Amino acid sequence: MKAFAVAVICAVALGIAASYVLATSQKFAWQAFSTTSARVSQPGTNLVGPRWTGDVKGPHDEVAGDPQPGKRS
Amino acid sequence: MRLGTMLTRTFIAATALMAVAAIDAPARAQAPTTAPNPTADSVNEDLLFKQDPKIHGRISIPDQKAANLIQPQGREWRGFHEGWMPWIGAAAILGMIAALALFFFTRGRIKLEHSEESGKKILRFNGFERFTHWMTATCFVILALSGLNYIFGKRLLMPLIGPEAFATLAQWAKYSHVYLAWPFMLGIVFMLAVWLKDNIPNRIDWQWIKAGGGFIGKGHPHAERFNAGQKVVFWMVTGFGAAMGITGLMMLFPFYATDINGMQIMQGLHSLIGVVFIAAILAHIYIGSLGMEGAYDAMGSGEVDLAWARSHHDLWVEKEQAKTASGPQLRPHQAPAE
Repeated sequence: MKAFAVAVICAVALGIAASYVLATSQKFAWQAFSTTSARVSQPGTNLVGPRWTGDVKGPHDEVAGDPQPGKRS
Repeated sequence: MRLGTMLTRTFIAATALMAVAAIDAPARAQAPTTAPNPTADSVNEDLLFKQDPKIHGRISIPDQKAANLIQPQGREWRGFHEGWMPWIGAAAILGMIAALALFFFTRGRIKLEHSEESGKKILRFNGFERFTHWMTATCFVILALSGLNYIFGKRLLMPLIGPEAFATLAQWAKYSHVYLAWPFMLGIVFMLAVWLKDNIPNRIDWQWIKAGGGFIGKGHPHAERFNAGQKVVFWMVTGFGAAMGITGLMMLFPFYATDINGMQIMQGLHSLIGVVFIAAILAHIYIGSLGMEGAYDAMGSGEVDLAWARSHHDLWVEKEQAKTASGPQLRPHQAPAE
């Protein structure tokens, strides 16, 4: 039982460590593929704007920071 | 009168023209056309695929894979993992469950004989060996369930729990699959390090196989630390484990070592080996728990009954007892008495 408990704890710890190590080798698409001629921009300055939350429920829902929800033209 | 003459002349002229047209038409139809066909020599899909297995254009961003327009192998790959793969997976896993159930209900649980219980215990697996086994095993269970979710989740689970709950579950399953693959691969390396020397096939294994592992004839055949059946499990686990690790790493670091065709082949191999691996481990779990009385103790407490060990692994017990009898009690310069 002791060996089993230690094994499970070690597996979880190694999994968490792997997640941190793998995160360092990953890049966002806008970082990996941006060039002076390519239209890949950092989120916040692209077409959806800096207040984009990604959580859109419908055409008349409030966009975060929008002062007049539902009255966009 | 004039009108009649004019009508007559017009009729004759029209008849003459029709006659000329009728005579000329077959001759025109048989003559080769000289009109140019503007698309006769243009490039078509068949011609492009004779030059290259993919059709691609030119792009200005650094990701050259984005230039790919058509890759026919992708259709075959999609047909495999959306059509064949679920059926292969279901046949392998449900087939093994059915075979084990049939074995259990016909043969029953393999029970310990009273003569196999001496009351004395012998250490079969030390703490590190049990740690290695359980770390690999617990990771395998999570990897198997999260892996099966890739194949069957949207077909079986999503209709039951709904798309939103399934999306959350699948996201966490993906995290666990990617991250717990690392302790699993480490466990495979540890297994090779601690058990390789005891799993080299030899003549004793052949005798064990001929005796059907004790099912054919009387008494148990000779066995060292691991019998032939256990050696098969060891080589299956390390071999499939290594194959799953390599194909998994190819997918975890996409396009580092191979192109899109290679990625699709790796995915196909990973899923095929995965379902066979799961089916085989189901048999291992069965024989190590429900199928054989006393088998779990070896990996649970690490100790087994001495008489049971003598019966099932007689050559190993002799070796262990020779070690304890001669090894630790002797000083380095002393030799055991003949």
